[in-house]
Amino acid sequence: MIHATLPNQQKDSGLKPVDNRSIDASVRLPVIILFGNAVHWLVIASLLSLIVSIKLIAPGFLGGISFLNYGRLAPMARDLMLYGWATQAAMAAGIWLMARLCGCPLGGDKGDGLGGMLLRTLIISATILWNLAVLLGTLAIFAGYSTGVEWLEYPHWASSMLLLSFLLIGIWSILLFDRRRTGRAEVAQWYLVAAFCCFPWIYGTANLLLVWKPIQASAQGPIQSWYCGSLLALWLLPVALASVYALLPRLLDCNPNRRHLATLGFWMLLLIGGWNGMDRLIGGPVPAWMTSAGVVAGVLFLIPVFIISINLLGMPRNETIVSSNFPVRFFLMGLYALVLVGVIGALDSLPDFSGVVRFTAFTEAKAQLWILGAVSLPLFGVLYEALPQLLGRECWCSTLSGRHYIITLVGLGMLIALMLLGGLFTGIALTDPTVSFLNITSYSYPFHLMECVAQLLLLIAALILGVNITRSLAGDYLLNKQTGK
Amino acid sequence: MNHDHHIHQHENGTEETNRPLSPWLVGAFMLSLCWGGFYLAFNSGGFRQDVYESNAVNWAGGGAQAAAPVDPKVVGKRLYTQNCVVCHQPTGMGVAGQFPPLVGSEYVLSQGNMGENHLVMLVLNGLQGHFMVKGQAYNNAMVPWKQLSDEQIADILTYIRSDWGNNAPAITPDFVTQIRKETAATTDSYTQEQLMAMPAIKPATVPGSSPVKK
Amino acid sequence: MHRLPTLLSGIFLVFLASWLGLVAYPALQLGRLTPVADADNGGTLPPVYGGQAIAGQRIYAMEGCISCHSQQVRQTSITSSDVERGWGVRPSVARDYLRDSTAFLGSRRLGQDLSNIGVRRPDAKWHFVHLYHPSAVCDGSLMPCFSDLFLVRKIQGQRSDEALDLTGADAPKEGYEVIPTVEAKNLVAYLLSLRHDYPLPEAPIKKTGPAK
Repeated sequence: MIHATLPNQQKDSGLKPVDNRSIDASVRLPVIILFGNAVHWLVIASLLSLIVSIKLIAPGFLGGISFLNYGRLAPMARDLMLYGWATQAAMAAGIWLMARLCGCPLGGDKGDGLGGMLLRTLIISATILWNLAVLLGTLAIFAGYSTGVEWLEYPHWASSMLLLSFLLIGIWSILLFDRRRTGRAEVAQWYLVAAFCCFPWIYGTANLLLVWKPIQASAQGPIQSWYCGSLLALWLLPVALASVYALLPRLLDCNPNRRHLATLGFWMLLLIGGWNGMDRLIGGPVPAWMTSAGVVAGVLFLIPVFIISINLLGMPRNETIVSSNFPVRFFLMGLYALVLVGVIGALDSLPDFSGVVRFTAFTEAKAQLWILGAVSLPLFGVLYEALPQLLGRECWCSTLSGRHYIITLVGLGMLIALMLLGGLFTGIALTDPTVSFLNITSYSYPFHLMECVAQLLLLIAALILGVNITRSLAGDYLLNKQTGK
Repeated sequence: MNHDHHIHQHENGTEETNRPLSPWLVGAFMLSLCWGGFYLAFNSGGFRQDVYESNAVNWAGGGAQAAAPVDPKVVGKRLYTQNCVVCHQPTGMGVAGQFPPLVGSEYVLSQGNMGENHLVMLVLNGLQGHFMVKGQAYNNAMVPWKQLSDEQIADILTYIRSDWGNNAPAITPDFVTQIRKETAATTDSYTQEQLMAMPAIKPATVPGSSPVKK
Repeated sequence: MHRLPTLLSGIFLVFLASWLGLVAYPALQLGRLTPVADADNGGTLPPVYGGQAIAGQRIYAMEGCISCHSQQVRQTSITSSDVERGWGVRPSVARDYLRDSTAFLGSRRLGQDLSNIGVRRPDAKWHFVHLYHPSAVCDGSLMPCFSDLFLVRKIQGQRSDEALDLTGADAPKEGYEVIPTVEAKNLVAYLLSLRHDYPLPEAPIKKTGPAK
């Protein structure tokens, strides 16, 4: 397997970029903790998603127990996917990439002194705090303390813990960028700076106005939609794109991207991404201008998506590298997923089409494809690339990696195709008032049944990744033990 | 396992291709941006909060009719139902021996040596201990309602002074603001003695302010 | 674009645009809506919730009803199917949510829209039986049983007035009765209060009326 070598060689600060080994040493523990926990949450979230989808074909499954109801498990699964897996893996990827791209170890040169030790303790405590908050927040939904705000179900104390922990970790990516020892900043670094700046703002604003000190309910709709859109387009997606911009050209050993195009893509994503969530409220109880803003943003989101995909998919590819390198394959699949997200999003924002498919599985498919495809696939790529470098040895079992790749793609493809079709089907049926709602429910049974199979595949994929990463980390432990002897 | 010899050093930054953007691409994007602008301009109902149909055309000429101003008593009744009925009851009669009535209460109507300021003060800061209302003794505590806005308190008081046969002038939000400022330092609930030690202010009876009509 | 302050201010400005447009401006525009006077009944519109219904909102949030049920009737300029289906006599507007502490708009309709469930199903008894075992009254419903919101107890003396009239497999053992807990009563009070059949200045009720 080829490993990409970051960072650049230019320098302008007078300080020489530190070699990769010391950079990795400085971020090893926090990044491994974040990645490891993220994967474990992914497994749990996939299991919950499977249970949730089984409940749609057999409502009595695990029934009669209030805390195992659909209404509690579904938000738990979604939140674990967002905050347990995606956001946590994005933090890990972001910190590692930023340190490498900046040629600067976490905490500067005094990494070995007392200051460095304190800093490391602080960051590691923050990673633990994050996981504690996710765990407690999930248990709170379980126990019936959900706030009832979609995607923000965690009670106020859990969300404040998450924000605090993020600030403690995220500030370092900005500081690293400020102290970088390499020359011209890369596009990947812009994306990372943007993402790490936006998340606290997005999460803080939404929690403040919807959970901590709720605003009058008449104004909550647009803010909630803005949150859903921005979380995906201005936090998770930029980190995923940063990984691709940083690693793909190096892994493919080709000239990096066309800079004009990359710059344009970056600013367009930032500009339009923030408006992107309003498509959730097309036709909803908001003044007409917000509906129209949702329509325009949904369609125009195609611009950054196309620029970025022309930019990244247009690179000359050496097919032998592609076929032998899992990170590269995950990155490419992530980009294809992004293109699909853009197309589905634009379709689903057209007023007439939106009137048919809104509230069906069709719109849900877009959110799933976004989280599990456009964001998760590139993050898997970084995980596969980063861990061997952090551990300083080949650690993945390539058979397991291959299975994980294939099963993830098959499961995801199946899930999305079923949801799109099923959603379109129910949407069209719903426009005919003579077809009763229960009738429509019974028509969607075969779709729900097959979705269970897709969710099962995704769970198997997550389990394989879990086994693979546990095996890798345990291998490290065993190795240490041997050398210790 | 050593993989150092696999590592490719990539000379980055210097050889980035800076090919200019294709004019077709730029043109297409400009066009779609223009479409976005036009769409918004023609389907946004003038960015008004009361236009909901995106194809509404008459928004420029006044659009939907403006909402009628709301009577403070109506808002006050709503707030009273939300905050006060538990103790003082929908009838304003209270509960004998526990919660004093508001109907005909000298506190509410500012009769005798009671002023409007006393009423606002006790609502803002609460009341505790022994107190007499309409000749009946009560020993209970009323919690402070500082968290309500000046406008809300004024609406509630205006309402309770005008329903159930009560007929006293309205309390203005400005008056509540004034009293809130004056009593900002108060932390504990008042006792009746403390309350009555303060001189009565009766702004509503000064000439020029008309009594609220029932 | 290669120095942190330049990059940060660029990001800040671009991000600020969507923040101002979708958070600050709506908060100012919709966050300051007030109830309007009800000319016919002398109250305010939207009407005030009773205490039980306010408590029931909490149950609605904690059971995650929003995962499957929306509470919005869409504008007829986008789709007329919500009104035609009888889910409301007029599209929902922001003012309708004034009385809520959380706006349960919802994003998925695995179940029916609930913004006017109090109009469509005004009978509390029906709701109790439906919550206890949904498919007993709606064959083929995907809704789970909320039997935890009910109490099965031995009949002491006379059968309680509140006891559910259950038949078939759902019926409790001889000498027992199923009664709703406080939570169930609050939830049903909330559901019954969900009715938006009054006109608002920005949302008049058109005389053509719904199909149903």
